[in-house]
Amino acid sequence: MLILAILVTSLTATGIAAALTWRPWIGWMTAASSAVVLGLGVGLSVTSLSGPQWALHHSLRADSLSAFMVVVIGAVSLLATAFTSRTMHQELTSGVTTTRYARHYVVLTQVFITCMLSAVLTANLGVLWVSIEATTIATTFLVSHRRTDGAFEASWKYVILCSVGIALAFLGTVLIYYAQLHTSGVAHHASLDWTTVMSAAHHLDPRVTRIAFALLVVGYGTKVGLAPLHSWLPDAHSQAPAPVSALMSGVLLSVAFYGLLRFRAVAVAALGPAFPRALLLVVGLVSLLLATVMLIAQRDLKRMLAYSSIEHMGLLAIGAAVGTPLAIAAVLLHILGHGVTKSVMFLSAGEISHAQGTTEISRITALLARQPTLGGIFGFGLLSLVALPPFSLFVSELNMARAEVDAGLWWAVAISLVCLAVIFAALARHARQMLLGGAADVPPTALPTALPASLTTLLVGALVACVVLGLLTWPLQSLLVHAAQTVTP
Amino acid sequence: MSADFWYGALATLIQVVVVAFGGPLLVGLMSKVKARSEGRVGAPVTQPLRDLWKLVAKERLHARHASVVLGLAPTVILASTVVAVAISPLVSTRPWLSSSADILVIVYLLLTGSAAAALGGLDVGTAFGGMGASRAMTIGALAEPALLVAVVALSIQSKTSNLPGIVSATLAHPDWVLGPSRLLALGALLIVVIAETGRIPVDNPSTHLELTMIHEAMTLEYAGPELALATLGEAMRLGLLFSLVANLFLPWGISTQRSVMSLVAGVAFLALKTTFVALGVALIEVRSAKLRLFRLPELLAGGFVLSVLAVVTGLVAR
Amino acid sequence: MSTTYVGVLELAAGAVLLSAVMTLWRRSVRAIVSMLRLQGVALSVVAVDLALHEHEHALLATGALVLVVKGVAIPALLRRIAQRDPRSRESRPLVNVPASLVFAAALIVLSYVVGTRITALAPSVVTNLAPLGLATVLVGYFMLVTRRHAVSKIVGLILVDNGIALMTFLLTSGVPLIVELGASLDVLLVVVVLQFLMVSMRHHSATDRLTEMKALHD
Repeated sequence: MLILAILVTSLTATGIAAALTWRPWIGWMTAASSAVVLGLGVGLSVTSLSGPQWALHHSLRADSLSAFMVVVIGAVSLLATAFTSRTMHQELTSGVTTTRYARHYVVLTQVFITCMLSAVLTANLGVLWVSIEATTIATTFLVSHRRTDGAFEASWKYVILCSVGIALAFLGTVLIYYAQLHTSGVAHHASLDWTTVMSAAHHLDPRVTRIAFALLVVGYGTKVGLAPLHSWLPDAHSQAPAPVSALMSGVLLSVAFYGLLRFRAVAVAALGPAFPRALLLVVGLVSLLLATVMLIAQRDLKRMLAYSSIEHMGLLAIGAAVGTPLAIAAVLLHILGHGVTKSVMFLSAGEISHAQGTTEISRITALLARQPTLGGIFGFGLLSLVALPPFSLFVSELNMARAEVDAGLWWAVAISLVCLAVIFAALARHARQMLLGGAADVPPTALPTALPASLTTLLVGALVACVVLGLLTWPLQSLLVHAAQTVTP
Repeated sequence: MSADFWYGALATLIQVVVVAFGGPLLVGLMSKVKARSEGRVGAPVTQPLRDLWKLVAKERLHARHASVVLGLAPTVILASTVVAVAISPLVSTRPWLSSSADILVIVYLLLTGSAAAALGGLDVGTAFGGMGASRAMTIGALAEPALLVAVVALSIQSKTSNLPGIVSATLAHPDWVLGPSRLLALGALLIVVIAETGRIPVDNPSTHLELTMIHEAMTLEYAGPELALATLGEAMRLGLLFSLVANLFLPWGISTQRSVMSLVAGVAFLALKTTFVALGVALIEVRSAKLRLFRLPELLAGGFVLSVLAVVTGLVAR
Repeated sequence: MSTTYVGVLELAAGAVLLSAVMTLWRRSVRAIVSMLRLQGVALSVVAVDLALHEHEHALLATGALVLVVKGVAIPALLRRIAQRDPRSRESRPLVNVPASLVFAAALIVLSYVVGTRITALAPSVVTNLAPLGLATVLVGYFMLVTRRHAVSKIVGLILVDNGIALMTFLLTSGVPLIVELGASLDVLLVVVVLQFLMVSMRHHSATDRLTEMKALHD
């Protein structure tokens, strides 16, 4: 029931937004729908602890992992859709957009969220693929929303690269199906249904599964933003409107990663842990190193945040490579912490760039003096992003590192720590420039457009939630353990 | 002397004679088709034969700096082609020495002829001869990989590289002819044949424009009987290549039994099939413009990739 | 097993790969698009041939859909774009045509080597043809990476997709219909999206942004 309710809520909001012309209350309506999704997701998490739920003739299925992902999607989309009205208002008054495109924007955002929800709630790995591919189409138009040269170029790159990547993932999915058609021993009805695939996973042909998993890692990895097909990510994230960047970075990447987690479980069952681990370690470390290098000399605020997403996705891949229940639980917590933090960061970065008229780091100065609230949120968000205690990202990174050491991958831990230290230094330097730099020269001016109290509360609340999660993981403890068990042997 | 031997010897003799007359006739036929399509009446089909006859009666003439190579080259061109014609399965699958008609032997016999032509072109040291030789060798070098790989495709399917063996195997499995591997190999071979015989779009046989001619440039220094030998050699080479393409892809009608009647039928069918190929090539010539020299690698690389495709499809299909 | 069935299958599968190679060979965008049309038709022939032989109605529907989407709709869309574009030639590929063709030959051999590992699981006259699909995928990738013209890039994308579809048909006789439908419609949507982007980009700036792409970098 809850599963259906989640999808219906999201679809209804989409329908209303599509039927009516743009008015500010529609933005608030979508935020309300996201809040309902979040609430239902929490409910689903509770019920899923006692076993997977089904709906619509077993075509929808929610175990703890799905429920957890619904919570992540709900939380991040609540943050992002709460900013819809404000972003549209800013764009309409500055003439960047028209009411027609504002309507497109809301509808596509809702379609995007609905696709992500259906990706995590479907029982079928094929439909998972279709949903993730559908997000590409919705987000392409969102990336090009501003209709500038840069925005078109970014969405062009995005759609080409992601379509190609996701095509590879389709090939991988097909190969898993093919391997299942020819499982030895068991008489078996082949399908892409998750439970069927998992029950046959031990008998899948290793040669075919190996090729299939490699294709899936590259394919879904494109969408996750992992190297080598990551180059769309900084462009798309920097050109999209801030709430869209928040959604993409906060959940879209993780939803694609969710696909990888599922297939990793299949691959481990068929091949043993060695091959999936090696593959994920390589892409994870390469992404991490690449993000580190790109962050050092980054000059653009939004691109900086985008590369930080690549960094965190690399960490997730390394965590998933270890694959123990502890590691997966930490990975999931990291997904939530990163999703919330990164959306706060993108949303406040959107405010900053709107107020200062630039996203160039060197031209953003004295934030704390000029806009103390916004600067404060941005500064604390940055602290969370570099995983300082007491934020939850610290806990999850710590636990991932513990799991990696337990698995004997101390060298991977060493490399990651060096990268994280460098990233910390780089971000600290950029933050000093933006928050404090040049404060003496510029007299503190009044804010051009102050952030309303409701949105401020929301952003602060999100950061507080990160702290709470970091200090006490109890609200999530059993859910995380359960969810980790669904994709570990 | 067994009956097989006499049959083989007769088949060989017939093949050489048929190609010696047929090759020039095919050249004449193609110019006729081109002329007609351009709205001209054109020379009669037998014109190349008459030209040869005329040339034979003329005086032998050498440039002052010519070495012995110039005199030898036309003979080598003709001789290598005649040997290749003699042993290939054209009229019959069992001509004399057909067991040594490995596809590589034929390829290298033809290459000997090309090398001789190039050396002859270089011998006197005039600008045109050298230019033509260098261009011809470039094209040859590009066409050769395509040819060899296409041949591999054919031999994978028949599990032999002996030409008569391939033809007989094709006769036994008629469905091969429409298989993708065979069709792709046909495409590759057609490109190679067009390049090797110097037809449009690779070369224009009827031009003497210094910037574009390739093949004609090499024979500029010949006169009289030697020009006749070289021209006949080239015409027979064209006849041989057309017949091989025809027989590898439409082997029906070739003589397999030891009877004179089947040989006669073989000649008739060969004439029919090569006419068909010649008409096809003439059609290509009519419809396309000559490629610029630096675009030729594209065409020949295309031939190469086609032949690789032929090999791979041959491996995966049945 | 009737011979015509396998014969048609082999021919159509060969035609899919051949048309992929031809797109690398030709320069004019119109010719490339007509190669794509040929490929779409060949692909639907594969599906219909398999469906008729194995009496799979779902696959027959897929074959019809493939014909409509990949044989008619997508080429028609691309053709419209090509007509709108005055300089519709692939003028400066990053890798020149002869080198691309030789590279394609290498990719074809590579896909044979990899593909036989996949088909070794269940060798049959049908599955053995799967390496042709893999080769189409790789050629598509190559096209995508080395061609600058926007239409060529889209064509590369569709080649990848067609190759995957070919492999899907040959290996599994079609995955479940819903997935197949989703996959085919997605391609159409992606092409629509790309067409929209191309048109808007051209409206928005005088320079030909499609081939340059220099605004965004680090």
